[in-house]
Amino acid sequence: MRLFSIVLLCVGAVGQEPAARKPDRVISIVAERFTFSPSKIEVKQGELIEFVLTSDDTDHGFRIPGIGIDVAIPQSGKGEARVRFVAKEKGSYAFECSRPCGAGHNLMRGRIIVK
Amino acid sequence: MVNMICRCLLTVLLILPPAYAQNVIDLERRVSELEAKMRLVDPAFGRDSRASDLVARLEMLEKKLGEVLAAKKTEAQPSPAEATAASQPAQPPGQGLVPVSVSGDYQTSTGGETRLPVAGYMDFHLNKDSGDPFRPDFHRFVLLFGHSFSDRIKFWSELEVEHALVEGGEETGEVALEQAYLDFLIKPAFNIRAGMMLVPFGIVNERHEPPSFNGVERPFVETVIIPTTWRELGFGFTGDLGKGFRYRAYLTSSLDASRFNAEAGITEGRTAGFDSSFRNPAKMVRLEYAGMRRLTLGTSLYSGHAGFNTPGVNPRVTMAGFDGRYNYRRFDVRGLFANTWVSQAGELNRRLEQQFGVNPNVARQMRGYYLEPGVHVLPRRTRNDVILFTRYEKYNTQHRMPLGYLPLPQFNRSSWITGVTYKPNGDVAIKFDYVWNRNASQVVGAINGINLGIGWWF
Ligand SMILES: [Cu+2]
Repeated sequence: MRLFSIVLLCVGAVGQEPAARKPDRVISIVAERFTFSPSKIEVKQGELIEFVLTSDDTDHGFRIPGIGIDVAIPQSGKGEARVRFVAKEKGSYAFECSRPCGAGHNLMRGRIIVK
Repeated sequence: MVNMICRCLLTVLLILPPAYAQNVIDLERRVSELEAKMRLVDPAFGRDSRASDLVARLEMLEKKLGEVLAAKKTEAQPSPAEATAASQPAQPPGQGLVPVSVSGDYQTSTGGETRLPVAGYMDFHLNKDSGDPFRPDFHRFVLLFGHSFSDRIKFWSELEVEHALVEGGEETGEVALEQAYLDFLIKPAFNIRAGMMLVPFGIVNERHEPPSFNGVERPFVETVIIPTTWRELGFGFTGDLGKGFRYRAYLTSSLDASRFNAEAGITEGRTAGFDSSFRNPAKMVRLEYAGMRRLTLGTSLYSGHAGFNTPGVNPRVTMAGFDGRYNYRRFDVRGLFANTWVSQAGELNRRLEQQFGVNPNVARQMRGYYLEPGVHVLPRRTRNDVILFTRYEKYNTQHRMPLGYLPLPQFNRSSWITGVTYKPNGDVAIKFDYVWNRNASQVVGAINGINLGIGWWF
């Protein structure tokens, strides 16, 4: 599964030439025990989206189940992680924290709504 | 200290099932093979890397593979649109988000660190009351284990060893299951949780990792008015209502009124899931607002009967609390107010006096509040963080007495705590504070104290 994710990620990386194209929208998301702010993100179908992920406290993770995105968000003051994806189909997609961060970790989640 | 943690973790790893260890060895071998193959493509790969853990090595492989494929495919597929189309068959059906790239500091953040299969936190204190020598106390050693059975069923647990080294080596510590629950994720606004859960009251009960609060010890109000760590058996619902609102609503085991007293209020009535009663489940709800950056507001309500051990008297405990945290530039402020009502407190005192021969002098109302401003003295871009803080606390476990009972003034208390939290890393907190205690008694004096502590999260 992990390997499959790697391949997916790479195929995606090839297709879009991320360095070449400017994202249609850049959205900042702040992680803090045990929330993502904002936790509901609305985007338009077809847009190339970039999430800039930072933490206000400890290390967190950012995972979109099923599509192979799972990155570590560095702890406060240690930088950011940037994730780009294309919102290809309409729908609601969950994302979650993938790095155990305490009592509320299981529900540290959010949604991407593609309209 | 580091040595000690390593030894503890090694012990944990050794007692894991052998199959798990075998899997890790297997994985490690496969990653090494992949790295060797990658070196056939690019002999420079991994030459100057010191990454030792599997995740970092996998991430490097991911990155390299991406580069290699990109170099190959850009010639064949000049149009990005075509490339997107080409990538479609590789997705699982119904996947409407197509990952493109990951960049930033996410890789460097783990450089030189070791990621462990468990998380946890530890807390080591040196406490000194005026007139006494320093007392060392390995206050808390907590290991956290989580597991996802699927994307919709998740497990969370915390196993705690408290006061492992107490004064004179006496064995007064405890091993406790602090939390162990399952979350069934249904909809963002509605999820089900069941098991041993933390009571969602106040700030510290659910957010108790040492780097996340100032002061060596938890606030007094969140010790004697809100009994942290407060955990109960039960089930409930939790969710994100949108616009920054979240809630938790639980039905849980109840408090035991036979252990209420004048000094600690309802605190000793926690059953921690042992001997607890579910005949009259307690109800609790917490609503939180985190819709504005750097501001969190919360309100909690608790109500439950507590008389399962006091035949003939069944007092109801009701609690209401408000709390907030706010951060503006380099300033932090947090505060909390909590009030507790105990019905039939007079009958309870008479019943317990008959049962045990001593009047516990339980109040019919208890109240506490605190306010804690803090300032980060170093600029935001520096690696280290130094927070100076002061906390004023007022807590009275004899606030209103039932008819015929007089309040004990020594339990009408207030404290000034002032100190510093130094964080060489966001997950490590070295703390020092001085505590001035006061009470309303003319006879019983309050004792001041100094606390030194180091706590970390991993
Ligand atoms: Cu998290």
